[in-house]
Amino acid sequence: MRRDLLDILCCPVCKGGLVLTVVEENDEEILEGSLLCEACGASYPICAGIPNLLPPGIE
Amino acid sequence: MHDQVYQPEADTFLLLRAALREVRPTDRVLEVGTGSGRIAAAVLETGARVVGTDINPYAVLAARSCGVETVRTDLAAGFAGPFDLVVFNPPYLPTVPEDRFDDWLEYALDGGPDGRRVIERFVRDLDRVLAPYGRLLLLVSSLTDLDAVRELLGSYGFIAIVVDQEGCEGETLYVLRAMRDLCRVTSGD
Repeated sequence: MRRDLLDILCCPVCKGGLVLTVVEENDEEILEGSLLCEACGASYPICAGIPNLLPPGIE
Repeated sequence: MHDQVYQPEADTFLLLRAALREVRPTDRVLEVGTGSGRIAAAVLETGARVVGTDINPYAVLAARSCGVETVRTDLAAGFAGPFDLVVFNPPYLPTVPEDRFDDWLEYALDGGPDGRRVIERFVRDLDRVLAPYGRLLLLVSSLTDLDAVRELLGSYGFIAIVVDQEGCEGETLYVLRAMRDLCRVTSGD
């Protein structure tokens, strides 16, 4: 995901804002990292450039 | 393409045609249930900013491989918006339990008993992600009951018109263009 995508994302459960943690990125986008909901504390992974915003525990 | 990703069909191409007519280069576009990414990738070429969602892990990979920025989420659940244009080819086939086969393709097809189950879940959340003057393009089949879908949109404050249609193997496919019914919006509501 590109960094500015964060502006339009939210927690899929409580609609709270997300805080980005980057583990790996290139010139264009974030490849590995996580998104943490400030409101409910749920954490969502970013793997291979794709954020997974399914409610925790659903696969 | 992975066999668990919906392959572009007549409905895909009808919605694609409508999307290319509708999109403006300055739009921020959300394609819900992007599947193969075929529509999102074509819209991207117009210069618009596009993001696609899918619940299917193989679909988000397929769409990303076409250059589309993707997020794995249920409909628009992980988005705050606002989007100028939302495009959705929903699962619309009416099904009974014995028809269901419980895999990722089912998510792309199964609209529940009346074909409108997923459409209703989506429309309930649309106000949250659509910009004030935002537009929706929604693919609807005669199997799903066009009038019922328009009524459903109306009940959530949207007004819809048919902008394209095509007969296809015993059903008619329609593209509905919906916007907020601003005449019905009153202050203090």
